[in-house]
Amino acid sequence: MTIKTSNASDRPLVQVSQAVKTYGHTRALSGVELQVNAGEVLGLVGHNGAGKSTLMRLLSGLERLDNGTVDIGGMTTPGAFGFSGVRMAYQESSLAPELTVRDNIYLSSARWLPRWCWHKAAAESVVSRLGEIFPDHGIGPNEYVDDLPIADRQRVEIARATITDDLKLLILDEPTESLSGSAVDHLYNYVRKLKATGVAVILVSHRMREILSVSDRVAVMKDGAVVSIHRAGEVSERDLLLAMGGEVLVTEANATPFGPAIDGGRSVVVRVPMTTVSGEATEITAREGEVIGLAGIVGQGQEEVLDRIWHGKRGDIKVDATRAYVPGDRQRSGILPLWNVDRNLTISALSSLSRHGIRQFDAEELLVDKWVKKLNIRGGSRATITGLSGGNQQKVIAARAFASNARTILLDDPFRGVDVHTKAELYQLIREEAAKGRTIVWFSSENSEMQHCDRVYVLRAGRVAGVLHGTEITDNRIITMSFAESETNAA
Amino acid sequence: MISMNPIRSRNAVPRGLVRRVFPGAITLVAMIVILIVCGTIQPRIWSQTGITLILSPIVAMVIASQAQMVMMSIGDIDLSIGFFVGMVTTIVATILPDTPTLGFLALGASVLGYTLMGALVQLREVPSLIATLGGSFIWLGLGLFALPVPGGSVPDWLSSYAFWTPPLSIPVSVITMLTATVITWFVMQRTGLGARFRSLGSNPYALIRSGGSVLRTRMLTYAIVGILGVLSGITLSAEIGGGDVNAAPGYTLSSIAAVILGGGVFTGGRAVAWGTLFGAVTLGLLTVLLTLLNLSSNLQPAVQGAIVIAVLAGRLVVERVVK
Repeated sequence: MTIKTSNASDRPLVQVSQAVKTYGHTRALSGVELQVNAGEVLGLVGHNGAGKSTLMRLLSGLERLDNGTVDIGGMTTPGAFGFSGVRMAYQESSLAPELTVRDNIYLSSARWLPRWCWHKAAAESVVSRLGEIFPDHGIGPNEYVDDLPIADRQRVEIARATITDDLKLLILDEPTESLSGSAVDHLYNYVRKLKATGVAVILVSHRMREILSVSDRVAVMKDGAVVSIHRAGEVSERDLLLAMGGEVLVTEANATPFGPAIDGGRSVVVRVPMTTVSGEATEITAREGEVIGLAGIVGQGQEEVLDRIWHGKRGDIKVDATRAYVPGDRQRSGILPLWNVDRNLTISALSSLSRHGIRQFDAEELLVDKWVKKLNIRGGSRATITGLSGGNQQKVIAARAFASNARTILLDDPFRGVDVHTKAELYQLIREEAAKGRTIVWFSSENSEMQHCDRVYVLRAGRVAGVLHGTEITDNRIITMSFAESETNAA
Repeated sequence: MISMNPIRSRNAVPRGLVRRVFPGAITLVAMIVILIVCGTIQPRIWSQTGITLILSPIVAMVIASQAQMVMMSIGDIDLSIGFFVGMVTTIVATILPDTPTLGFLALGASVLGYTLMGALVQLREVPSLIATLGGSFIWLGLGLFALPVPGGSVPDWLSSYAFWTPPLSIPVSVITMLTATVITWFVMQRTGLGARFRSLGSNPYALIRSGGSVLRTRMLTYAIVGILGVLSGITLSAEIGGGDVNAAPGYTLSSIAAVILGGGVFTGGRAVAWGTLFGAVTLGLLTVLLTLLNLSSNLQPAVQGAIVIAVLAGRLVVERVVK
């Protein structure tokens, strides 16, 4: 750790150069160059997998680089508490729900509170900071976080990040996703106030208008690198979308009709009522033999749609067929770690394979052999599942769903982090199974995967932002649609 | 997604506090009811000797339950506390009277053993159930090695504490119980250490992102559980006047029941020292009640179990109504 005392005003506060970070097969950062000056608000935009969160984790000291350098205020390696003066308000809260607001503040800001008798000091600091940022808040310091509505948790999370004695850089990760109109204004007023005192703020958001109205400069990330940096006053939403890889034809994309599919011959097996971003009623439908994509920024309601289809009978969802679910790698909820590949593969198909409740081992074996061969699962049917690579584990989980007799297969971003070769095999499997009349509803965070679909619904804030058919399905159009904002929703 | 913030009075009792204190309060009511029933059947328990007589056998159990409560506050469960307490009684009854230094070193080493168990759980990602189950056999083995058959004698200072008659007719067992509870409550609710324990049980990321070490926090938790276990063992030796590794295997499951009765949760994050006190005393008083009712004490576990299930079911119903 080297601390230089020079504070030349021309030297940027944050200097990231040639930053490289890989996780397994995925190259999260591939040579990021970024500078942030003191007293500046830097907006950061980019689509799924562009590397925004990895870069923020790096700046807050939670990750180490594989290659390249970071320099924040003269500090080049994070200490036990990260880089000094850098605080981050996380999107998924870093509050402990079982603790009170006050105890959470103590946990995060203990270094700036008295060693003993910190209770009163912590309570006072959070009340005064909340009052400073959100004057109309009604949060008591002794309230338990799990009692707070989501917007209040976000308020506490933001206040938590700012309670420190030496704030130099504040990172706000999607701070306004769960805040309402006036709270958003209050937050940005506070950001401007911080800026005036010389604090640097990095604002990560999908809300282009907010980014443009608050930031001085906007950095665009794509494929693990900062591809361009713009002055906020000299750039439009459209330019930013273009830089992210979106298409310029914003108006055309919004105008894409929400019509039924072209082929009306086959029967509709899934029907989920939705609303469009502008508030009109629409539906997500899937016909027999179709591959339907759910796209957009991660966490905008895609998994809720899958969940609604999976639970079927609830409410006004219409689902005709039996269903199987392929979970993503993120949850790791799919495998039964103590069982071999064969048992893992047949678990969903057992009831259809057994006779009078007695298992038919020869039929099971046939099925396992077929799928192990078909998907080329390394290690064979007797291998322990945990000994397989992540890609092969995902193959087994996918095979399990397809080996069952379910007519509708739900895919919850199952190919994230899987190697290219395996992906190609699984894409082909999906097309083959659809050709046999199965319906596939597929959420993916990788836009390029979506071109294997017949129809793609792009979701934004739990609503349908647009529908793409066949050859219309391109990365550009998905990106453009993901950032659609209704007029009423604008900040 | 967008909700107007209802104006709440900042001085109102937070709902969350009510929800957390409520189960312990119900248990307190149950405890008082049982005491009154016992007192009605046998009025002689309303005296310093009477109270001492019925509470003394419960003191070690209260402290062991506090240990379990600390463990459950980080989301772990301790299946070894019963044999650990038993092993401590064997150390107290064999080494401590003659060579106090060695005795205290041995007790310190037991606490260290607990701490290492915490490191094992964290570093090797062994579930706490498995690690502590394994630990329980180690404690049993060490206890049998130290004292193969029940016996030995306790140090003089310990027996004189047990037979001490405090002023104002307060039974010594009540003093010990309250002291253990107040200290545990203070550590868990009023110190930063307690806040870190609870955050580990509630959301480990909160701990990590604030620069805390999950390993160190878990090891400290296990160390405190070990210290409380040692105190429970010393108390139990004073009560039985010697050592016996098999004196208290029942503490393991009863202590979990006591924590649950007191409002603890298996998922971690909650520390209910007072509720645990009431839970442990309630479970202990059931034995007294069954004896006074002339029912076989062999029925005791069955009655305890039925009461735990009834309390949990009742709590669920009430919580649903409150919400």
